[in-house]
Amino acid sequence: MLKKKVNLLWLVALAIALFVPNIITNPAYRQIAVITLIFTACATSWNMFSGYSGYVALGSAAFYGTGAYTMALLSLHLHVHAGGDMFWLVPVGGLAAMLMAIPIGLIALRVRRHTFVVITIAIFFVFQLAAINFGFTGGTGGLTLPYIPWMIQSYHVPFYYVALTMLVFAIALSASVRRSRFGLQLLAIRDDEDRALGLGVKVFPVKLTGFAMSAFTIGMGGALYAMMQGQIYPQFVFDPIFDISIALMAFFGGFGTLLGPILGGLVLESSQQYLTVTYSNGSLYLILFGVLFLLVVLFMPQGIVVFIRDWWAKRQDRLAAANEAVGAQGGNS
Amino acid sequence: MNSSALIHAVIDGVLTGSVYALMATGLTLIFGVMDIINVAQGIFVILGAYLSYALSVHWGIDPFVGLVITIPTLFLVGIVVERAFIGRLKGPEKTAMSILVTYAISLVIEGSLNMIFSVNYVQISASYVNKTFRIFGVYFAYIYVYGFIMAAILLVALYVMLYRTRFGASIRASLADQTAAALVGIDVKRVSTICFGIGIAVTAAGGMVFGATNAFNASTSYDLISRLLVIIVLGGMGSLGGALLAGILMVTLEDIVGVVWSPVWSIIAFYIVLVIVLSIRPQGLFGKQSARVA
Amino acid sequence: MKRKGKLFRACGVTSVAAATVMMMATASGASSSGSIAKGAPVKIGISLSLSGDFSADGLAYQQGYKLWAADVNASGGLLGHKVVLDITSDASSPTQVVTNYQKLISVDHDNLTFGPFSTLLTLPAAQTVNRYGYAMIEGAGGGPSVFQAGLKNVFDVTLPVAYDLKPFATWLTSLPASTRPKTISYVTSNDPFTQPVVQEAQKLIGKSVKTVYNKVFPAEATDYTSIADAVAAAKAQVVVLGSVDVPTVSAFMQAFEQAHYTPKAFIATAGPDQGASFIKAVGAGNADGMMVPNSWYGGSKNAASRKMVAEYVKKYGGTAAGVNADIAEAYSVGQVMAQAVTATKGFSNTAIIKYLHSGATLSSVQGSVKFDALGENTAQTAYTFQWQGAKFVEVNPVSDPGAVKVLFPKPAWGK
Repeated sequence: MLKKKVNLLWLVALAIALFVPNIITNPAYRQIAVITLIFTACATSWNMFSGYSGYVALGSAAFYGTGAYTMALLSLHLHVHAGGDMFWLVPVGGLAAMLMAIPIGLIALRVRRHTFVVITIAIFFVFQLAAINFGFTGGTGGLTLPYIPWMIQSYHVPFYYVALTMLVFAIALSASVRRSRFGLQLLAIRDDEDRALGLGVKVFPVKLTGFAMSAFTIGMGGALYAMMQGQIYPQFVFDPIFDISIALMAFFGGFGTLLGPILGGLVLESSQQYLTVTYSNGSLYLILFGVLFLLVVLFMPQGIVVFIRDWWAKRQDRLAAANEAVGAQGGNS
Repeated sequence: MNSSALIHAVIDGVLTGSVYALMATGLTLIFGVMDIINVAQGIFVILGAYLSYALSVHWGIDPFVGLVITIPTLFLVGIVVERAFIGRLKGPEKTAMSILVTYAISLVIEGSLNMIFSVNYVQISASYVNKTFRIFGVYFAYIYVYGFIMAAILLVALYVMLYRTRFGASIRASLADQTAAALVGIDVKRVSTICFGIGIAVTAAGGMVFGATNAFNASTSYDLISRLLVIIVLGGMGSLGGALLAGILMVTLEDIVGVVWSPVWSIIAFYIVLVIVLSIRPQGLFGKQSARVA
Repeated sequence: MKRKGKLFRACGVTSVAAATVMMMATASGASSSGSIAKGAPVKIGISLSLSGDFSADGLAYQQGYKLWAADVNASGGLLGHKVVLDITSDASSPTQVVTNYQKLISVDHDNLTFGPFSTLLTLPAAQTVNRYGYAMIEGAGGGPSVFQAGLKNVFDVTLPVAYDLKPFATWLTSLPASTRPKTISYVTSNDPFTQPVVQEAQKLIGKSVKTVYNKVFPAEATDYTSIADAVAAAKAQVVVLGSVDVPTVSAFMQAFEQAHYTPKAFIATAGPDQGASFIKAVGAGNADGMMVPNSWYGGSKNAASRKMVAEYVKKYGGTAAGVNADIAEAYSVGQVMAQAVTATKGFSNTAIIKYLHSGATLSSVQGSVKFDALGENTAQTAYTFQWQGAKFVEVNPVSDPGAVKVLFPKPAWGK
């Protein structure tokens, strides 16, 4: 019965999400909504590997950028009609990112997880530099995608639904991985890699598969962003802030949980975009953001999902204890 | 291209590289002892540069003499930051959390520096900054030589402290194995705090030389941290000798490729070396952890 | 307990989704009708980089826009409406710049828009406001990519950057053979702003001066010493440097001084035009003889410009020579918009775009403004400026009445 209730709530959430473009009609906020969905999908997908396996990757912008450049280059060179047809290139961007993840994983996944973090950052910088310095990527001038002649009143609607599909896909994948044998192997690696190895888990292939799978959605996110933005630059699609942001979303919500990154992405990205748009003062903003960030990491190190769940559990226990006490008293009198 | 330009590039690379090596040593020491990745190292370098700048502009204190003030100041800043934030981190996700925490700290410092010094670029000046001497038919600036001597003195001092003192022995024990160090009665927490302080203190010296040879503002820190991280990965994370060698290697290689080939490819060449080294030795040149290949 | 956790999770998603929707559900976006109620102000939306890479220029642009708004309001506003500037910060990010202009137009209902700083941000900004049918009048988006995008709504009041080095090239090639330098080095950052400028100069100078060094360096370099040493080793008599900011130029100057290499002429595409902040970074003694192309300088004889400079100095301090050219660019944007509004007798962006494409010649503190089909201002003259003593003076075109003699050869460093 309870299980049905859970599924029902997911359906209600989806139903609300489906109607968002009818409620938010303002293009500025629709833009925020689409970007929030893209980031949330990326954070969910990131968490599916890093959260489950404990291997924190901080170079995922390499996949995001690969997706973005795949979208830009293919739409330009294949002369794709500027419009809805370009959406077909979104999964292609995801595939390109996944292909890139294999050689990266072969190098980076062979080390201890603390070193892995820094190696992913280093590899990310290789990608950024390549995009800046190679001729076909347009150098620092970036690439201008075909201009999509949609009117502003409805411009974001198709992007919204594609981004929503992407998020649903990322959540479904993350949930099914968590329930699968493969997911259990990832979690075993997180708990104790040597023990997992001893128990016969093929540690390296498992890590590599997870890493490549998580790159897919992140690549799609980059491709969709490029298409909506219309113009990409190497330093902004291969952006270290992206790496930090999606990791922060996952940690903020709850590292390694299914719901954490979703919650973190929806709350952080939308409020950050909204706050920057509404109250922008460069330096003060940096300070406030940094302080807020510190408070969250220090006081809710497990993320809000775990924090609230623990609080809820404690409250229930207290209530139960109180009820029992009341019951016991009643019995006595 | 002539041979004197090449000699110049090599010597320049060694001189400047030693300063990067000093800054990277602080970073790798912190990682080795504490498992903390301090992405705020770049902004601490800039903070050190701004301190030297402020001392020389407002009180006319020579930047090298000013180190007597700036190094202890940043050491204290490091101690405070470690006690207030870094030391609170624990659990299996400590390393990843440390990136987030130090990133947040760097945002706060960046915002504050922007407010205090504005975003206009500044450079530390002293009478000898542009003075040069001639050797092998090319000119060398004293500032690079002074910077090299300073970096060398500090690195030697660090090594003496590590290998000739009791406290150094406890640091080395913590570098090798924290649990074992704690078991033999070493106060790992205290060692960590002081190591963090030392790791930050070296940025005062590195930042001063950087600020005297480059115009900078707070956002210059992003370029710095990316180079420092790459240096410690190549050298092997937690390896002091590795950071030293990789720092010099990186800058020298960049300079040589820039002269012989093209400046555009100079950084790429370094990354190519990095990827080759990592695919053969995943733990870097001098990394202590053995690879885990399943 | 376990199942409770799951229920809680799903509740969380639902409530967050609902909260997000509620937060964002606001009134629908407006389009520009062209008329403003009597007594209501005219709102101009601008996104500027108040932090991040372009923050120095972003802050200068803000001062320029504000100076213009104060002047217009002092003389009764635009068609009787008070001008209000609605400025938001984009932190030098192209994603933020897009969000910002959407917000400025559809949430704040701003009537007009002015451009952000740099080619990099102008392109996505212009594409965005184009979807709303708004005109994008700007002063800092002069790179070829902005004009090649085929947008009809973008107007750059500043001369396109590719023309910048023309007067310098003319001066150099017309020197008598006996004094004309024999060798030249070209070195540029791989930036969409500087590369076209330096390439154009190379084409104009051609073979009349022999090229001995010609290289591109990465825009994200932090340490320029080795590149500058290589240029110094080539020992050319002229150096053309494609730089985007003060630190790049100052690094090259410092390395040249350390190598005891003084070119007879040294021109940099950006940096020496930054007035006081340039002097502060390189030292007054070293600035002597440094050249920079630009379309405006603080000592300009243009009457409107002199008035603006006087106001600027009064408000922010400093000297006329120290006034950043960004101020004049931003001020010119305001002036061009004011003339378009007056001519079209309203605030309709459609009418303004049509008018600006009509070929009318307008005026600004930077000189004449006339737009071609791509939105480039081709009516303006490019100038070359040089630091002489502590003064920043115009030296090219030689035929210009305001030009003084070029300080040539450039004095040795530190003198």
